[in-house]
Amino acid sequence: MSALRPLAAAAAALVVAAVAIAALGLPAGAALRALAAGSLGGPAAWTATLLKTAPLLLTGLAVALAFRCGVWNIGAEGQLLAGALAATALATRLAPGAPAPLLLPLAALGGAAAGAALAAVAGGLRAARGVSEVISTILLNFVAIQAVAWAVQGPLQEASGAYPQSDALPAAARLPALGRVHAGVLLALLAAPGAAWLLFRTPLGLRLRAVGHSPVAARFAGISPERHGVTALALAGALAGAAGAFEVAGVTGRLYQGLSPGYGYTAIAVALLARLHPLAVVPSALFFGALEAGAAAMQREAGIPSVATEVVQGIVILFSVGFALPRRGA
Amino acid sequence: MEKRFGARAALEGADLVVAAGEVHALLGENGAGKTTLVNVLAGLVRPDAGRLEIGGRAVDLRRFGPRAARVAGVGMVHQHSTLVPAFTVEENLAFADPAAGRWFRPRAARARVEALRARYGLDAPLGVRAESLSVGQRQRAEILRALDRGARVLVLDEPTAVLTPGEVRALLPVLRQLAASGCGVVFISHKLDEIRAVADRITVLRRGRGVGTVATAATDARSLGRMMLGRELDALAPRRAAAARGPVLLALRGLCAPGLREGSALRDLELEVRAGEIVGVAGIDGNGQRELEEVLAGVRRPSAGSVEVAGAPVPLGARALRARGVAHLSGDRERAGLVAAMSVAENLLLKATWDDRRFFRRGRFDAEAAARHARACIEAFGIVPPDPERAVGLLSGGNAQKVAVARELAERPRVLVAVNPTRGLDVGSARFVHERLLALRDAGSAIALVSTELDEVLALSDRAVALVRGRLVPLPDGADRDAIGAVLLGEAPGVAAA
Repeated sequence: MSALRPLAAAAAALVVAAVAIAALGLPAGAALRALAAGSLGGPAAWTATLLKTAPLLLTGLAVALAFRCGVWNIGAEGQLLAGALAATALATRLAPGAPAPLLLPLAALGGAAAGAALAAVAGGLRAARGVSEVISTILLNFVAIQAVAWAVQGPLQEASGAYPQSDALPAAARLPALGRVHAGVLLALLAAPGAAWLLFRTPLGLRLRAVGHSPVAARFAGISPERHGVTALALAGALAGAAGAFEVAGVTGRLYQGLSPGYGYTAIAVALLARLHPLAVVPSALFFGALEAGAAAMQREAGIPSVATEVVQGIVILFSVGFALPRRGA
Repeated sequence: MEKRFGARAALEGADLVVAAGEVHALLGENGAGKTTLVNVLAGLVRPDAGRLEIGGRAVDLRRFGPRAARVAGVGMVHQHSTLVPAFTVEENLAFADPAAGRWFRPRAARARVEALRARYGLDAPLGVRAESLSVGQRQRAEILRALDRGARVLVLDEPTAVLTPGEVRALLPVLRQLAASGCGVVFISHKLDEIRAVADRITVLRRGRGVGTVATAATDARSLGRMMLGRELDALAPRRAAAARGPVLLALRGLCAPGLREGSALRDLELEVRAGEIVGVAGIDGNGQRELEEVLAGVRRPSAGSVEVAGAPVPLGARALRARGVAHLSGDRERAGLVAAMSVAENLLLKATWDDRRFFRRGRFDAEAAARHARACIEAFGIVPPDPERAVGLLSGGNAQKVAVARELAERPRVLVAVNPTRGLDVGSARFVHERLLALRDAGSAIALVSTELDEVLALSDRAVALVRGRLVPLPDGADRDAIGAVLLGEAPGVAAA
């Protein structure tokens, strides 16, 4: 029953979205067909869906993991960008002289570390000064966005100086891929059971969950809510940072502004639709990934204006999150 | 009334008839259905079957919600305050005031409250924010609000559980006066002496059924206990000959700590607890009890002095205390370290040392071993239902406390800090906890029993002191209860008001 609710919510959302498209005087049938074909109809569609799913999966886990510890991480977007920035910097500037086999791991780990570091700033402020992480993580998103903007027009701009973007990452720093589906997709899929294992099978996970459910009880049990808040944010930041590194190393090949179409924000919906369970984040991210890929196709194939596709995505997010959550007091 | 929550039957045909002009006590063990029954009356719980009549008129239970209950004249005073903390008392009364319609009229409310206050002698400062009121004042403000809304049936869910003895003494005549003015007052309490002092009639619930209603004058403690428990009620666990006392295991040396409020800072505490003895610390909440608990649990930093375990000062921290064999059992279960949303097995692991090889290996915990440990504790401490995976929040208060007892006592700690260990428990569960404390003492542990239940302190302690306004003072001989009361209230010589 409780597992069916999110499914029913997603289905109902699509129905309402179709009605909304029709109400705008657009061909609802064609739009939905394009949505389905563009997300699930054939290898190319699946490729598009999987490429969108990977960053949603990692950032969705980042949000879910932090929420489980009672930390409202709204900063997955910034952490993703920090990861992309660090990975690009390492791959194009700092380490082109490094041995080739090390370049990719270095860039990926550097990306994760940068995401973790950015999130840890919010964690540290929260632990030391009681600064609400909701505010600080949102504000750090802007810091990361501006940092990327500055980097691609400054120190990381491509050698030709033509566009505000970085040089292409060297081949050794690119993720191996099957077709266009890069290895980061597989790593993202493995991260979900990894996060579940961490939460439910390790003493650290036990402590994180205890803090999330009851910080007071945790303190009396000798578990510091402050320190574990920092840990949870750093872990979350590492996941989101890895997502950013995988984007530049697996999909775009370069850093530029607008690298992420708001993955880190959609991640909140991904995590809530999954009810914060790491394993459920996989189908949840897949759903939102398909929606993202299908919306692009809807725009391309059925001539639905991009504004309308965003309306559709918004409706789906509202529905799926609103209905997936348990009723108040229940 | 009948009501099931999932598989659990909370009410199975319970009856309650309250007359105008009486104080009607509702008595029963934890989980007997008292709160569910009054929540039906307040429109908060919809029963599966049953009839409700208010003022002789049958109520349509399908449309009976909190608002309908209020309109019908039911006023509810919950255990925990439902006032808006940031509003003053008069604003709270004006807030959602049915007579004011869409407008917010604190001044009109003030006039009404003044009248009610004068009539019932309910003293609650009007211009003060609810969050800065004492618990007793907040409760009186809630009663005022219920009366202001025209309550004819007033329901008080364990109002005295959170009050000091003085506040209880002030509340009981108010209830009598409310009844005298024609209200029907429903009074839930675990305490027989209060019930005897105030109630006209008593309805006893046992496992969701009404066992019967008796006139207070025509009954006694033993027969009420029999109705409640279905067996004879003994007095508190009898005091036993103390085991041979050993060395000092727990000592407070010149301990000072900042207070949470006026007069609750700890000042220069000196206390020694030896192996094989229970030292009671009596007192009224708000005199440093919480601060002392937090220091002894390692979550509050002393400003001066130290806590010594077996002769050596302990560094600050819950884990440091635990590692030296100090356990902490609290009646405030949420604070004691039980996480309601987590399972029995997980709660039992919460204070384990993270390098405990029984449960943790190579950075992970062994779910099998945890479940085995939980089943052993469930067996040894009689936790019901015997399910290691059940969330602690779904257990009754008594069984949740058994989980805490299991975790704190299973390892036979050298020192136990027990703070109100039986608060909110029914008689059977309280006796279970008392037996365990005595057994632990007889096994040679040192126990500091900090309790606001004077009877508990007197019955269990080998010697006792009182914590009054943050200082430890000697407690007069147990026989002289008037003298003890004076000391606890800080009225006796020797307790300087500083």
